[in-house]
Amino acid sequence: MQQTNCPTNGCLVNDGTASEDKGYSHQEPIGSRNDSGESHQQNGDGTSYTDTNGSATTLPHVKIKSRTERDIIKLIGQHLQGLGLSQTVEQLIKESGCRLDHPAATKFQTHVIEGDWVKAEDDLLELKSMLEHPQALLEIKFLLLEQKYLEFLDDNRVIDALYCLRNELTPLNHKINRVHELSRFIMCNPGDELRKLSGWDGKGLQSRQLLMEKLQAFLPPSVMLPPRRLRTLLCQAIELQKERCFYHNNINEKNYDNYSLLVDHTCKKTCPVKLLKFSLIMAMKFGFVVFQMMGPKLASGSKDSTVIIWDVDPDTLTLKHKHTFDGHSYGVSYISWSPDDNYIIACGPDDCSDLWVWNVQTGELRVKVSHSPEDSLTTCSWHKDGRKFVTGGLRGQFYQCDIDGAILDQWEGVRVQSLSYRKDGKTILAADTHHRIRGYNLEDVIDFNIIQEDHSIISFCTDETGRLALVNVSSQGVHLWDLEDRILVRKFQGVTQGYYTIHSCFGGVNQVYVASGSEDHKVYIWHIKRERPINVLTGHARTVNCVSWNSKYPQLLASASDDSTIRIWGPAKSGSQTSCSPDQSSLVLSSNNCFQDFF
Amino acid sequence: MGRIHLEHMGGERLFSCASCDTVLTNKKELASTRFTGATGRAYLFKKAVNLTYSEVQDRQMLTGRHKVRDVSCKNCDNKLGWIYEFATEEGQRYKEGQVILERALVIESDGFEENPPPLPEQ
Ligand SMILES: [Zn+2]
Repeated sequence: MQQTNCPTNGCLVNDGTASEDKGYSHQEPIGSRNDSGESHQQNGDGTSYTDTNGSATTLPHVKIKSRTERDIIKLIGQHLQGLGLSQTVEQLIKESGCRLDHPAATKFQTHVIEGDWVKAEDDLLELKSMLEHPQALLEIKFLLLEQKYLEFLDDNRVIDALYCLRNELTPLNHKINRVHELSRFIMCNPGDELRKLSGWDGKGLQSRQLLMEKLQAFLPPSVMLPPRRLRTLLCQAIELQKERCFYHNNINEKNYDNYSLLVDHTCKKTCPVKLLKFSLIMAMKFGFVVFQMMGPKLASGSKDSTVIIWDVDPDTLTLKHKHTFDGHSYGVSYISWSPDDNYIIACGPDDCSDLWVWNVQTGELRVKVSHSPEDSLTTCSWHKDGRKFVTGGLRGQFYQCDIDGAILDQWEGVRVQSLSYRKDGKTILAADTHHRIRGYNLEDVIDFNIIQEDHSIISFCTDETGRLALVNVSSQGVHLWDLEDRILVRKFQGVTQGYYTIHSCFGGVNQVYVASGSEDHKVYIWHIKRERPINVLTGHARTVNCVSWNSKYPQLLASASDDSTIRIWGPAKSGSQTSCSPDQSSLVLSSNNCFQDFF
Repeated sequence: MGRIHLEHMGGERLFSCASCDTVLTNKKELASTRFTGATGRAYLFKKAVNLTYSEVQDRQMLTGRHKVRDVSCKNCDNKLGWIYEFATEEGQRYKEGQVILERALVIESDGFEENPPPLPEQ
């Protein structure tokens, strides 16, 4: 039997018709080899055929009984065929008695790859009975004729193309819009213009292989294996292992070359979330810290009334002072970066009625907002347009202001702990003193309940999609809510909170991690799918008030504490403990404290 | 230092810490005005927030022996009264869990009417 290596999916291509009947004769009684609940009728599963073409005497025939075993042999055969090891495949088929594809499918494939559309259509007569979906035959015919038509056009055989369009494609009465679209291609010149307009690869092997992959979707896998099936399965396995790896935080993954197939993937040894700490000592108690949106700059707020902008080096984890903003007489307890990173808003503690908008580029004060001495402005959120923001506090209202602080709208009668715009830019989420998060639409003046907690809400933030919210609940841990479905998804355990205002955040690649400060001096890190922390970072000596995960450098985390330090946490690199800046040596922790030893 | 997390019970008539204005409770929670504390007249409230609590102490009162904890303002740490942990006399058990705030140490102010939390929407 003469065989050629088919490049589409590595299956055997059989070009003979004479050898067929002998090669795939019904030698074995069908019932005896079907042990896996498959249909006993001839259903196109070629595995039930045996090659008895004289080989039985020279090769001891191994009976492969289980369906799984036969499937595995098919996968291996297809893979080897793809590598061009045709002789091995031939031997494999002989010895195992398992065939890769049904001969009719093999023949069909040959004709498609050769562009013999008449023969390919004839092959359908045989394949017809094996198709599972009634629409499949029509879909296959349409795809074949589409290719045939386009190839005519590419050859500048306009008359043939027109004939195909009118007398073959149109009568199918299928995908009318596509037929209209195809008819327009008649106008264009063959070659580049046609290819550009149609998005089709042009006559030849490449477009026919693509066509074959499309056709295969309509052929049952028992008739023809889907292309590169073994590779697909292995990729799925790696994806699953990655998903199960709670330490996986790799950026820039374009292929699977870094993964061994010989052992299950695990990040235990080289985990990027294993964090090395780096400390910065300052004589101020830090209540808040937050990374900018699109870069490594960090803003910190402290009790002593200054805001500091730091440049963080993502490689060395060092901080360089950039700006100090003074004059926040009551201290700074909340900071928010504008979406374009040009401005920050700084809010004070509960007895503070003012708010500051600073230009981070120039280091100048844009405006100090002060509406009434009765106000308490302790929290804020930027609108996505960067031209307005919302701010409020416990005294009983919140405002929507333009960037210069002029009040655009205000809502009375709600004591606000924490604020955030929804993605639509119209709805404002506000956590209030009744343990709720409610939505407020200022345009339509409507409000509605979204979340009801049983205990006091300290703070909350939303993820990149705006769908998930992290809620720090007094004495209750950190709660993950789905804001659209309005359900509690998960309760992250471990933190101590209730006395101070503690902030949490999402982070890591694809935001699969959650971090929070805690009154027990630790930083907690969870995988978004697990209640128990995967990492508890020790090193701070007092309450950790706030954490912030950098979105551009997803391995960079900052924490702010009452112990007068900001700590930057990054991936552990061998030997990098000693590379921490010298003036922080007193707080560089021994490797015992490193995350590796937590487990 | 971190910002202290303060709660707010709302209400139209509020009682706050006299030294720092932190809101502690409201008139709806007021159970009795006929108590006496270290500074004179004291009020009994069913519930109050933003307090810190001392260790439990045995205290002999006019109405019998009680276990109480002193309560202080969470924000400024001023001592404001006490909370009943346990009453020995059966007739005094209603006080358990309730809070005494001394009138001289709290101030009253106006809040605003708030809609009660609506029922969770379907
Ligand atoms: Zn006070």
